[in-house]
Amino acid sequence: MKKLLKFAAVTATALSTSTAAIAADWTPPGPIKMVIAFAAGGGADTQARLIAEELEALHGWKIIPEQVTGKGGLNAVNALKDGATDGTVIGMIVTETLGYNMAAAKAGKPTDVTAITTTAGTQMAIVALASKGWKTFGDVIEAAKAGEDIRFGVMTGMLGDLAYIAGKENGVDFNIISVKGGKAVMNGLNAGDMDVGFGAGIQAKAVAAGDMVELASARSEPLKNSPDAPMLSEFGVDYVNETAFLFAGPPNMDPAAREAIAAAIAKVVNTEGGKANAFITKGFGGPVVISGDALDAALQQDFDSSGALIAAAAD
Amino acid sequence: MTDLGTLDYIWLGILAVFQGPEAFSLLGVSVSITVMMVAFGLVLGIVVGATPGLGGVIAMAISLPILISIFGFNSDALLPVMGFLIGVMKGSTVGGAVPAILFNTPGTPDAYMTTLDGYPMAQAGKARKALKVSHFSSVTGDTFSDIVLIVCAPFLAILVESYLDLPEKTALLILSLSFIAAVVSGSAAKGLLSCGLGLLAVYIGTGEDFYPRLSFGSDALSDGIPITAAVIGVLVIGAIFGELENLWSQTRRTGEIEIAQDEGDQRLHWSDIRRIFPYIGRSAIIGTTIGALPGVGSTLAATIGYATGKRIHTKKKRPEDPEFGQGAPEGIAATEAANSSVSGANLIPVLSLGIPGNTAAVFLILAAESIGGFNPGPAVFKFSSDLNPELVIAFGLFTTMILANLLNWTVGGLFMRSLGALVRIPKQYLLPVVLLLTLASLYVQETSMSAIWFAFGFGILGYFMMRFGISPLPFVIGFVLGGRIEDTARQAFSATGGDPWFLLKSPIAATFILCAIAVIFLSLRKPKADNT
Amino acid sequence: MRKLSASTALGVGCIAFALILAFIWIPLDTETWLVERKRGRYIAGDSLAPTLAAGFILIAGVMLLFERQTLDLHPTRYNLAFIGAISIFGIVGILLMRWTGPIAASLFGADEYRLLRDTAPWKYIGFVIGGGTMVFCIVSFVEQRVTWRALWIALVAVVVIIALYDLPFDDVLLPPNGDV
Repeated sequence: MKKLLKFAAVTATALSTSTAAIAADWTPPGPIKMVIAFAAGGGADTQARLIAEELEALHGWKIIPEQVTGKGGLNAVNALKDGATDGTVIGMIVTETLGYNMAAAKAGKPTDVTAITTTAGTQMAIVALASKGWKTFGDVIEAAKAGEDIRFGVMTGMLGDLAYIAGKENGVDFNIISVKGGKAVMNGLNAGDMDVGFGAGIQAKAVAAGDMVELASARSEPLKNSPDAPMLSEFGVDYVNETAFLFAGPPNMDPAAREAIAAAIAKVVNTEGGKANAFITKGFGGPVVISGDALDAALQQDFDSSGALIAAAAD
Repeated sequence: MTDLGTLDYIWLGILAVFQGPEAFSLLGVSVSITVMMVAFGLVLGIVVGATPGLGGVIAMAISLPILISIFGFNSDALLPVMGFLIGVMKGSTVGGAVPAILFNTPGTPDAYMTTLDGYPMAQAGKARKALKVSHFSSVTGDTFSDIVLIVCAPFLAILVESYLDLPEKTALLILSLSFIAAVVSGSAAKGLLSCGLGLLAVYIGTGEDFYPRLSFGSDALSDGIPITAAVIGVLVIGAIFGELENLWSQTRRTGEIEIAQDEGDQRLHWSDIRRIFPYIGRSAIIGTTIGALPGVGSTLAATIGYATGKRIHTKKKRPEDPEFGQGAPEGIAATEAANSSVSGANLIPVLSLGIPGNTAAVFLILAAESIGGFNPGPAVFKFSSDLNPELVIAFGLFTTMILANLLNWTVGGLFMRSLGALVRIPKQYLLPVVLLLTLASLYVQETSMSAIWFAFGFGILGYFMMRFGISPLPFVIGFVLGGRIEDTARQAFSATGGDPWFLLKSPIAATFILCAIAVIFLSLRKPKADNT
Repeated sequence: MRKLSASTALGVGCIAFALILAFIWIPLDTETWLVERKRGRYIAGDSLAPTLAAGFILIAGVMLLFERQTLDLHPTRYNLAFIGAISIFGIVGILLMRWTGPIAASLFGADEYRLLRDTAPWKYIGFVIGGGTMVFCIVSFVEQRVTWRALWIALVAVVVIIALYDLPFDDVLLPPNGDV
C-alpha cells in the first residue's frame, strides 16, 4: 500500500490527457448536487465549497452543496448511491470512507460509488503541545513506560487502530480517546484533556508558531513542516494513513460526465493562485490529483488491505 | 510574530467589529457590515417585540438560515450573523414593553408585569412617559448585565479550563441539565421529562457505531434529526400552533382598540431618573444574578424584581405617589430592569461553559455550529501568544453587545415609541404566514424536505408539551447539549482507561453529581408556585 | 380512590415508554451494548446515552406520580380537534409543495423536474401551490369562514417570500428544489 497513491498519480496523468477532448464537450443537464460529508465550517467543508465556487465561475455550472455528515462518510455514500448517473449528483468524501470504514462497517465496497478524482492528501502526524517537552514519538513511549498515563486523541476508527498498534508494538497501553473531527483533537490537546493526538494538517499554524510539535509522521513520507520527525514504521507500525479527499458520484455514472467533472476539478485544484489551490496548499500539503482507472485500482487495494489492520487491532 | 496579550485581544475584537468588510460609507466614515447588521438586528428585534404574537425567538429562527446563506460558512460570517442575533435579542426585550404599556397586551410573558403599571400610566395620559421609563430602565439593566458578562465570562472559562478534567466536565454538564430541568417550569418532573425527550431525540441516528442507532433501519432517521428542525419545531412552530388555537377559540374581537390621548408633561426628568434609579439598580442586580444561572427565565427575574420593588416602594413612597399597580413609574422600572438584565448574564454559561441557558443562547450556539469556526465554551478563552481567532470573535461579540446597547440608548427609544400601530396587525393572518416563512427559512438552511417534516412533527410535539404544561426549554437544551454530554462522557471513560466510577473518583466531579441529585430531590420536596 | 389525574396518567405513560425504550427499542435497534470491548479496553457503547435518556424519562414518570400539581394541565378534546385539523393542513401543504412541481413537469415539461428545479416558472410551482394552500387553509380555519381576503393574503405571502429569498440570492433554493 505504500507509495500506492504516488504510483497512481503518475499513471493518472498519462491517462487523463487522452480523454481531455471528450470531456471538453460535456455540460451538466441541470444543476449539480454536491454532497459534502464533513461538518460545516471545517477545513474539508471549506475545501469542497471553494472548489464548487470555482467550478461555477469557470464553467458556469450551477452547484448546490448539501451537508450529509456522520458515520465516517458512509451517510454521504448512501446519499450518493441512488442519485442520478448523469453527473448531476456528486459528493466529497475521503478515501478512508471507501477503504477502512467500509471494511470495518462491513457495509459495501468501493464500487458502490463512482470515484471521480482526489483533490488533496493530508499531513497526518502525531502531535503534542510543545510544553510537554517531547521531541519525537519515542519520548512519548518512554514516558508511558515510566508509568505516565498517556491519553491519545484520534478522530477516525483507522487512526484509533494505528494508535493502538503503535502502543502495542512498544509494550505500552494508551488511553485512546475518539472525538469527532480534527478540530476537537486540537481543542483536547490545548485544554490538557489529551496528551497526544492525530492532526491531518490543521496543526500547521501551531507547529509553525512553536506551540505544538509533530512527533511522528503517520504517512509513508516525511511531513512537510517537520521533515525530521520519524515515520511510524520506525516504531514497528506496519500501516500508514494515506487518506486523501475524494470526489465521487453514484455507481455506473456516465463516463463522459465522470471524466469531464474529474478534469474540471483537477484544473481548479491545480491552478496556482486560485482560492482552492491556495487553501489546499496551506492546509493539506498541496493538491494530489488521481482519477480514472488508477484511482479505482488504488481504492480497491486500499479496501482489500484494510482487513489486515482491522484484524491486527481487533484483539 | 509578536506575543499577544489580553489587551491586544480586546483591541483585535473591537477592530474585528469596526474594521470588518465595509457595508457603505457615511460622510467619509466607513461603516462595517457587522455594525450594520447589529443595527438591523436591533431594529428588527424592536419591531417583532412590539408586535403581539411575534418575538425575538421567531425573528432569530427565521433570519438565521437566510443570514447564513448570505454570509456563507466561514469565520468572517460569525460576527455579522451573531451580532445580528444579539441585536434582535436586545431589541425584542425593549420592544416587548410597547404593547404591554399601550394596550395592556403583553407580547411576551416577561412583559406581563409591565402591564401592571404601564397600562394605568397610559390610561392616565402618560403613555410616552411610561415608554421612556421602560426604555431607560431596560437599557440600563441590559448594560449592567453585559458588563458583568464581559468581566466574568473569561475568568470563569479560565477557571473551568484549568481545574476541570474530562470527568469533571461530564459531571458539570449533567449538573447543568438537572438544574435546568428542575427550575425552568413549576414541575421538576415535567422539566426532567422534557429534557429526557430532548436527549432521546438527539441520540436517534447518531453515535459512534456504523449502524445508525434507534433509526428502525430507515433512511429518514439514519442521518439523525437536524438540530435546527428540532429547535425551531419545538420552540417556534409549537408556539405558533398555541397562538393560533387561542385565536381559533376566541370569537374574534372586532372594534378598534382604544388608545388614550397623551396629556401633560411626557418628558423624563432628571428627578424622575433619580427617583427610579434605585429600583433599576436593585432589579438589575437581581436579574443579573438570576440570569447567570442556566435555565432560569427572565419571567422569574421580572417577578422577583417587581415584588422587591413593591415592598420597598410601599415603605418609602410619598403619600401622593401612585402605588405599584396603579401607574407607578417605579413599577415599570423594577420590572423592565430585571427582565432586561437577564439577557446579558444568561450568556455567561454559554460563553464560558458552552451551556445555553435560554432560547437566545440556543440560537447563538446554532449560529456558531452552522457556520463553524467558533465553538462557544471554555476553550475559546485561551490567551495564546499566537493568534487565537476564537478569542477575537469572543471579544468581537462583547463589542457588538456594547454597540447594540449604545444604539439602543440613542435611537432605540425613539424608534420604539413610533411602533404603537403594530398591535393592529391581525394575528390570524400574521401567524400562518410566519409559519410558512419559518418552514421556508428552515429549508434554505437544510435543503431537505425531511427537515420540514421533522420541524412540523416537532411543532406538534411542542404543542402537546405546552398543553401538558411541559416547558420546551429543557427539551431544546437537552437536544443541544446531548451530543456533547455523550462525547465528553465517552472521552472521560476512555481517558480513565475504562473506569466505570470515573464520575465519582474526583472530589469535584462527585460534588457536581451530588448537587445534580440534590437539585432534583429538593425541587420535588418543595412544591413551588408556577411563576416561570 | 381518587380520580385518575392527568399527571398520574402522564407519569404512567412515561414509565411505560421508558421501560419499552430501555428494554426493547434500544437493545434491538442499536449495534453495541452499554459498554463494549475494543482495542483491549472497555469503551462506552452506543446504547449508553439513550439508556440515560430513558432513565431521565423513567425518573420523570415516577416523580409525576408523587409530585403535587397545582394545575392539572392536559389536552382536551377541543385541543385535539384543533391540532388534528392543523396537522392535516400542514401535511397536505407539504405534500403539495413536494409533488406539484414534479407532477406538472411530467405532464407538461420537456425535461424531468430534477433538471428544471432551478428554472422559472417550474421551480415556483410547488412552493406557490403548497405554501399558498397551507396559509389559506389555516387562515380560513382560524377565522372559521372562507374569504377572498384569506386567499389574497396567502398568495401575497407566498410571492413576498419568493421575492425575499429566491430573487436576491442565487444560491438559495425554496422547497422542494434542494433535494428532489
